[in-house]
Amino acid sequence: MSGPVTFGELLECFEREIFAYVLRLSGSRDDADDLYQETFLAAFRSWPPPRAGNERAWLYRIATNKAIDRVRQSRRVVPLRDLRLAAPERDGVTLADLRTAVRALPTGQRAAFVLRKVEGRSYAEVADVLGCSEDAARSRVAEAMKKMREAVR
Amino acid sequence: MTIEPLVGEARERLLVRAKREGLVTVGYDVMDSPLGPLWIAVGPRGVLAIHYGAKPDPRDLARISRTYGPGVLPDRRRCDRVLTELDQYFARRRRTFDLEVDLTPLTAFQRRVLTATALVPYGELTTYHEVAKRAGNEQASRAAGGAIGSNPIPIVVPCHRVVASDGSLGGYAGGLAAKRRLLALELGDAQVPRGGWPPARLER
Repeated sequence: MSGPVTFGELLECFEREIFAYVLRLSGSRDDADDLYQETFLAAFRSWPPPRAGNERAWLYRIATNKAIDRVRQSRRVVPLRDLRLAAPERDGVTLADLRTAVRALPTGQRAAFVLRKVEGRSYAEVADVLGCSEDAARSRVAEAMKKMREAVR
Repeated sequence: MTIEPLVGEARERLLVRAKREGLVTVGYDVMDSPLGPLWIAVGPRGVLAIHYGAKPDPRDLARISRTYGPGVLPDRRRCDRVLTELDQYFARRRRTFDLEVDLTPLTAFQRRVLTATALVPYGELTTYHEVAKRAGNEQASRAAGGAIGSNPIPIVVPCHRVVASDGSLGGYAGGLAAKRRLLALELGDAQVPRGGWPPARLER
């Protein structure tokens, strides 16, 4: 499979899902806007993608690392209006419950949770994005799920 | 609520930052024309591509990125003038284009053929043979036809004004219906025959 030869192709192919991903990860529109820009600027700066056909995992990895960096720099309050966009719908659980639970997760677990449970990625993809083994990805997701269940019980 | 408008706003800001960092070399946009969507690219030296379709032709992208690198991004503002002039042309308010065209990524022969094509006046017709002659090689009608057929900047470089020596329309990247419509637009309301004209029509 041949990869994109221009920034525009990469952007048009992945910008919606990357924006949705960083919105779920950060829970804030403003942060998502910044993360989207930082992700694509970093991709353009380090062009070409490391492997043709693997651009999606490459972008998710950059986006995840940018989100982790951002959380490390400052912890910010998520406006409630943004959570309506960010949080997946679940029966019997309010958005506010989910908001609290997602926010309480450490960033690595939060990324694993969003990738696996919200985006529906395979464990191999989660591991690829997070730069860990599949076993580690499974345990991060399991740990996140455990905390989420406890939080919304 | 969908995230589409948020992505659009984020993209605008991304483009500003990418430009500031010198990461953008070529801007593109899609025009909604009477002949359907046109994908338009503008580089540092002028118009690089006008492609019939909402998505770029991979051959255009390969050619552009070989010359100007991967920094090809959507940029409406950069394409504004081309869009305006095309609008005026389609509304019969413009007969010549005041645009720079960039043929540098092409071979010398292709450039000569397209330069000769660009000199065919509005509303007039010529033949592949005549263009080959003006490009300096009368024997090369077929090669000239090939160069005209792969014209990356149709309409502005008016390859629709080039027809076969027997009066038939020849080919056209946007399809023969588009070629007929462009000729009908330029020739007033005169009907362009489905198959083209009898050879007599071409004698001037």
